[in-house]
Amino acid sequence: MEVGYFSFLQNWAANNVEAPVFYMLAFLAIPLAYGVLFDPRIIRCGFLLIGVFGTISGIFLLLQAQFLAMAQLMIYAVGITLVVVIALMLTNPRMEQDVNLTVPEQKLPALFAALALFITIYLAIRSELWQVKEATPLPPELNLVAIGTNMLGYYALPFEFASVLLLIALIGAIMLAKTEHLTRSEEWIENDESYSDRKEENVVKV
Amino acid sequence: MSSKSNLLSYVYILIGAILVCGYANGLGPAMVSPFGIDKDLADVVIALAVVALGLLFAGLGAELPFVVITGTIGVFVVLTLQQTEIVRYMTLSAVLFCIGMYGMVVSRNAIRVLMSIELMLNAVNINFVAFSRYIDPTLLRGQVFAIFILAVAAAEAAVGLAIVLAIYRNMSTVDMEKFNLLKW
Repeated sequence: MEVGYFSFLQNWAANNVEAPVFYMLAFLAIPLAYGVLFDPRIIRCGFLLIGVFGTISGIFLLLQAQFLAMAQLMIYAVGITLVVVIALMLTNPRMEQDVNLTVPEQKLPALFAALALFITIYLAIRSELWQVKEATPLPPELNLVAIGTNMLGYYALPFEFASVLLLIALIGAIMLAKTEHLTRSEEWIENDESYSDRKEENVVKV
Repeated sequence: MSSKSNLLSYVYILIGAILVCGYANGLGPAMVSPFGIDKDLADVVIALAVVALGLLFAGLGAELPFVVITGTIGVFVVLTLQQTEIVRYMTLSAVLFCIGMYGMVVSRNAIRVLMSIELMLNAVNINFVAFSRYIDPTLLRGQVFAIFILAVAAAEAAVGLAIVLAIYRNMSTVDMEKFNLLKW
């Protein structure tokens, strides 16, 4: 049978469209992820990060997770990246290039650890024994119903804990980032005579 | 960037593309059988060959970003092409996780470290959604866990960036090598 050198592309496209789209998204995601690590202008890393999150959102769409794809776009690609970029502007006001991107003495151990981890994971997952269920995926509206039923049924407690965690993180972030008020109160404590008297009493007692 | 290193990079990309496309076209067993290697191991052997060629060309003076990106994509394609879909998604997730881990360890800028952690969390999310699509397609428990990870990632980003801002106020730098307050 006469086959062209690129006939595998035709075979793929004829059988299913999922594999070519998946490889296109992967070819986008991997270089963008490298760009996040190694671009010397760190503001550009923030925008490359949006690209990585966007391609991962596309992968979620391929995996029939429409709600998660949109949530990914809203929370990661817009929300978290915006926070990161604002922090960049606050910590690097003149947008200078990073001169020393990496720690030289940690490069080789980190490369070894990353490669070893990848080989381990790949050898562990490379198996024919995954019990894949050949059910047709749920339509989008039932998908959302299934997620909602899970979150308010079997996973109601973790869902509540997630909301408490978000609240604590919000308050903690405000406490950590807002320092002016704290320093003023410390000055007030130092000027307060009754407080210093009490402190001396404590010292005498001890 | 000299013309010699450019030429070497393009030659490496060409050789890698020929190897990967040949493997994708079903020539993998034919490529390794002259060396007396079992045809079941064709993908691993070709992936190792791509890596070895990358090291060779990088040693000869090719541009490092070209070599690293081409090598990663080539190895990824060769290792996943003959596998089932779930293994493909999980391998992509493993690649992104390892890139994120490398960046987390070597980066000097604290905000870049936080970005690498976001990359790792996203890689884990791909895994969960792939499991919910292929192993558990009716109850979709993997997607629920992915939503929880989204919440944890948002909390982590807020607190982490607040810590970075607080340290920047005290030390006027975000260089990880200079954060030695807890060292003794």
